Amino acid sequence: MNDIGEFTLLVALATALYGCVAYVMSARGNRIDLYLSADKTPFIVWACIAISSICLWKAFLTDDFSLQYVWAYSNRELDTFYKVSSFWGGQKGSLLFWTLLLSTYMLVVYFQNRSKNLRVVPYAMAIMLAILVFFLFLINFSTNPFERIPLPPEDGRGLNPLLQNYWMVIHPPTLYLGYVGFTVPFAFAVAALISKNLDDGWIRMTRKWTLISWFFLCMGNLFGASWAYVELGWGGYWAWDPVENAAFMPLLIATAFLHSVMIQEKKDMMKVWNMSLILLTFAMTIFGTFITRSGLIQSVHTFDEATLGYYFLAFLFVIIVACVALIILRLPLLKSANELDSFLSRESSFLFNNLVLLGIAFATFWGTIFPIISEAVRGVKITVGPPFYNQVNVPIGLALLALIGIGPVIAWRRATLSNLKKNFLKPLIAAIVAAVVLYPFIPLGSRTEIYTYTTFVLCVFVLASIGTEFYKGTVSRMGLHEESVVGALATVTWRNKRRYGGYIVHIGVVLIFAGIAGSQAYGTHTEKHLQPGESFEIRGYTIKYEKLIAVEATNIKTRIIAQLAVERDGRRYWTGHPEKEFYKGQNQPVSEVDVLSTWKEDLYMILADFREDESATIKVYVNPMVSWMWTGGWIIAFGTMISMWPDRLEQRRRLDRVRKQEQLFPAPAQE
Amino acid sequence: MGFIHFLELILVIAILLVVGIPLFGKLKLKKLVDPVDPAVDEYKHLLVRKEETLISIKELEFDFNTGKISEPDYNELRHKLEMEAAEIMEQLDRLEQERKKNKPQKTH
Repeated sequence: MNDIGEFTLLVALATALYGCVAYVMSARGNRIDLYLSADKTPFIVWACIAISSICLWKAFLTDDFSLQYVWAYSNRELDTFYKVSSFWGGQKGSLLFWTLLLSTYMLVVYFQNRSKNLRVVPYAMAIMLAILVFFLFLINFSTNPFERIPLPPEDGRGLNPLLQNYWMVIHPPTLYLGYVGFTVPFAFAVAALISKNLDDGWIRMTRKWTLISWFFLCMGNLFGASWAYVELGWGGYWAWDPVENAAFMPLLIATAFLHSVMIQEKKDMMKVWNMSLILLTFAMTIFGTFITRSGLIQSVHTFDEATLGYYFLAFLFVIIVACVALIILRLPLLKSANELDSFLSRESSFLFNNLVLLGIAFATFWGTIFPIISEAVRGVKITVGPPFYNQVNVPIGLALLALIGIGPVIAWRRATLSNLKKNFLKPLIAAIVAAVVLYPFIPLGSRTEIYTYTTFVLCVFVLASIGTEFYKGTVSRMGLHEESVVGALATVTWRNKRRYGGYIVHIGVVLIFAGIAGSQAYGTHTEKHLQPGESFEIRGYTIKYEKLIAVEATNIKTRIIAQLAVERDGRRYWTGHPEKEFYKGQNQPVSEVDVLSTWKEDLYMILADFREDESATIKVYVNPMVSWMWTGGWIIAFGTMISMWPDRLEQRRRLDRVRKQEQLFPAPAQE
Repeated sequence: MGFIHFLELILVIAILLVVGIPLFGKLKLKKLVDPVDPAVDEYKHLLVRKEETLISIKELEFDFNTGKISEPDYNELRHKLEMEAAEIMEQLDRLEQERKKNKPQKTH
């Protein structure tokens, strides 16, 4: 099987290379024979990569330690669940997994568009294949997952215990689905530039891909935060680690893109801007991969054998130079047909939102690369930590939050001051009431506390603004049709999926802002060394250390569990079981925290240390409002689902356009 | 030759056949796409613009019904959008007329 896996990777590379060249030649030479020949390659490439992936999965599941990669990331005792996820536990497998996802996306694009636009699609397919060629080249010649060990050992080294967590099974694929997904709009954008089809056709063709990729990237970031929270055992969920930043930056730029494409669709303007944003988003996904695999930056996320940095840097350089050159070449065709009707309009609020998002992305980028530049120029490695990011990004983030509330209230095209006053009245009253109500309860002694207070007030403002939108829409619907409140609300949402789906996503974002503010400002923690039976208090909880339990979980894993009784108002409220896990062959034990999560706060417990006399060091954090963030994530998922749900009216309009075009110009319509 | 190598050989031959067959037919004489007709592109673009303008009118109505814009603004913007839509439709009509005029007549 390993031979087949290795061979199919080579065949995939050769086929992708041929497909890329043949697609370009078919488009340039207007040759249908070459096109039909090239058109077979996406499926062949996908099939070869899928076979190769199945071979690697089989090697993991059958403990085939003749493969160096399986030996390094698995062992006989590893749970089957984690044997499956070990596939992407290291650099070699993660690149193969990336390639598998990219080829799968390409296959879907191929089936969706193969007969739709023969002037753009061949170039888009060629670009996706070219990106695949890069990855397949690395896999075949630099980081082959099928590399053998001449004398296979009896057992493997095992998967890093930190990765043996369910979030780690979900988080990388979700993030990769987002990262890889942006290849599709990027490929269509570049194809539009090459083929000079620079209307908004490429945006329409890839609108859903952009939304899906954005969604996965967003959830990938949140799942990563969840993993850090429950697995790394330091009480937090986000540390502005370079690799976290690398996943965060494309999300910010993609969010800017998602908003600004609406202006291009509506007003046929901002073409250069949108092109630049999608190219930048894709470049950032490759930059993220460079960060993870360069070995230049120390992070919990970087791979042990990070040796591919310079390949990615070269690839990034080629992409940026080629794309910038293409945009400059096509500038005359990218001129806007229209102008903004007014600076007081939703369009301009979207522009501000773009600038703010790019501001955060730039600050994050600068903080991420500064240590690399500093080391290269001065030979001194400087660490840029959370204080820098918080100082720069928090005020810009607050401006973004305010814009989320302002956007829905302003009308498209033009708003007047009198209308703004009227529309802002209710959200502003709600914000003022919130400011007054919260004032006695929230200390305002430090900058962090002032920021937190402002965040809460702005959250209320945004929620009121979105709530007003739902209310007005429902009332308007009820005025025109005889419908119940629920019926009118459902209909108005369903008939305007993009608008109201977007509002629901914004509600999720507000909850995330509130969760971050609450947990960052009002958290507390303490650490105590206790004998069994001793207790201590924290924020109204009495934590009593009862006993230490040792469990031989498997042949290679021993668990030491501390039993902690949590009492509140004199009554036993909960029993916590934080633990340390010892893995054979691993020097460091792994902490498994225990968390009592409520809407109000999380009680987060860590067994920091223990001694032979059964005394233990217990660390307890009280983190307010953390669950708001996870709830916000699910609300974002719900809102995105509504936004993406196929719109029959839109489909009908598209078919109508195609029909009209075919009536007048009998050749098959090019969308 | 082992079984695995035999399988590999079969795979390569199959791929070469699948990819190669279109290159050896009579398809060379056919074009992938017709030469770019600026009228088609313009027509396609105008259809999209017409659709977007009509959607904008609908959204403007919605914004007016929900009290987001005042009546004078609504009237002015609606008028502007209607003018835009009329202009687009005029251009579409012109293109349709031109196309019908230039269409080769069927001979009986």
